[in-house]
Amino acid sequence: MSAAAQIGDLSFVHQGAGLPALDHVSLLVPAGESTALLGPSGAGKTTLLAVLDGRLRGWRGRVSVLGAPLHPDQAPPRGSRPDVGFVFQEFALVERATVLRNVLNGRLGRMSPLRAALGSPLPYDLEVARAALADCGIADLAERRVDSLSGGQRQRVAIARCLAQEPRLILADEPVSNLDPARAAEILTLLTGVARARGATVLFSSHQPDLARRFADRIVGMRDGRIAFDVAVGDLSDVAITDLYRETTALQVIGLRAVT
Amino acid sequence: MRSRGFGSFAAGALVAGAVLWSFATTDVELSRLLSAGPRIADFLGRMVPPDPTVMNEIVKGSAETLRIAILGSLGAVLLSVPLGILASETMVSPALYRPVRTLLAFIRAIPLILVAMLMVGAVGLGPLPGIIAVAFHATGMLAKFYAEAIDGVSRAPIAALESAGAGSLAQLRYAIWPQMAPVVARDTIFRFELNLRESLILGIVGAGGIGFYIQTYVRSFQYDKAASVTLAVIAMVIAIEAINVALRRRFA
Ligand SMILES: Nc1ncnc2c1ncn2[C@@H]1O[C@H](COP(=O)(O)OP(=O)(O)O)[C@@H](O)[C@H]1O
Ligand SMILES: [Mg+2]
Repeated sequence: MSAAAQIGDLSFVHQGAGLPALDHVSLLVPAGESTALLGPSGAGKTTLLAVLDGRLRGWRGRVSVLGAPLHPDQAPPRGSRPDVGFVFQEFALVERATVLRNVLNGRLGRMSPLRAALGSPLPYDLEVARAALADCGIADLAERRVDSLSGGQRQRVAIARCLAQEPRLILADEPVSNLDPARAAEILTLLTGVARARGATVLFSSHQPDLARRFADRIVGMRDGRIAFDVAVGDLSDVAITDLYRETTALQVIGLRAVT
Repeated sequence: MRSRGFGSFAAGALVAGAVLWSFATTDVELSRLLSAGPRIADFLGRMVPPDPTVMNEIVKGSAETLRIAILGSLGAVLLSVPLGILASETMVSPALYRPVRTLLAFIRAIPLILVAMLMVGAVGLGPLPGIIAVAFHATGMLAKFYAEAIDGVSRAPIAALESAGAGSLAQLRYAIWPQMAPVVARDTIFRFELNLRESLILGIVGAGGIGFYIQTYVRSFQYDKAASVTLAVIAMVIAIEAINVALRRRFA
């Protein structure tokens, strides 16, 4: 089994935070599968995904993504960034721009820096963007402005932008927590479906066990910056989930969780 | 209870005292006050019918006012771009943006007409002091607006483009500028409208524009001509307002 990402003894403390957001995390994300990062709010899911996306500096440990090691103090080389796509909880779209423009933004890393900064997309970029729109079922929305769309439509645009990068690893941070349950299931069906069709690996975070169970092949439980469990979906017990979401004790609230 | 009763009594006494003091120290005697009504009526009477022969002066004066507003606004934009960046919380450190913001508040506090008078003293009569005054005065507001436009840019789409491998110029072009442009355009047009409106009266202190003719005609008791110019000014303010409403709809 090859790995899309490999994490060894990863720790990170946010600036101004007392406790580490990631506390000696080791994890292997298998390639070609869909893995869910499950855990309560504050577990460290967003932080872990941001490290894998190469957007955080100052962590300690060993991280390699798609076979290339990341440097804790340097941004990844520009050329490798499109290989890792990211779908954000709050969509992170340019609201006043059109759907097509937002999806073309996913191509910027595949263009020469000069073309990205000053030029216009090539026919091939347009073709990839239109195919991504079609895959996400929003070809007819191409010319609409994003600020006129619903939440579900916005997340489809964000997934299309991610696909336009032609990524081999798709990271998604709580991609459906802003959507109603029906829309959430639709979006996760779409995300895992397009990834499988393109042979890309998916790592998505969620705080909802039912969604993780339904859409992931593997489930990684996280709590307090540590990995609580890492199992195939069939091996996940209700006890493990209950324990993952147990009440935070008063001692933990005041920062003495090492006592437990 | 007692202190509140005393408080309202003290406030009442203060207001009454201020009104009495104002009557006592200016030459507002009852007789003059009573005769003011008829005198204003007489003045208004001499304004009608407005004298239409001053059309040439109106066109010339309005054109000069428009030029003062355009060049003054251009100057303000050029000053506000660097000052707006220096006043932005997200671009520079507090040690820099705090004093720059204080400076801008200080500039805003000086009335335009006062700046214009000082500039007339410095560079002489004509449109030039008006242009300098408008540029200076408007920068106090426009640079603050530009700083707010910069600080209002959402980080999330920038992070998304960074994640996709876009360089900083591409991030500026596709994530930062699209968020800022409508705000900058709206604020600049808003400030231009204010500049045009405020520079209508600059001529009164000799800083150029249509205001010069109002002052000239009132001083030489040609109230019918002053009336024509005043009507022209009112018409222009209404026209500016109408254009502004239309533009605002465009940038909503
Ligand atoms: N920018 C930040 N500054 C300080 N602390 C942060 C910041 N972002 C997250 N944290 C803290 O790091 C921990 C993990 O947060 P996060 O990774 O967002 O968890 P999750 O995504 O699982 O909710 C939390 O305790 C959170 O309060
Ligand atoms: Mg999170």
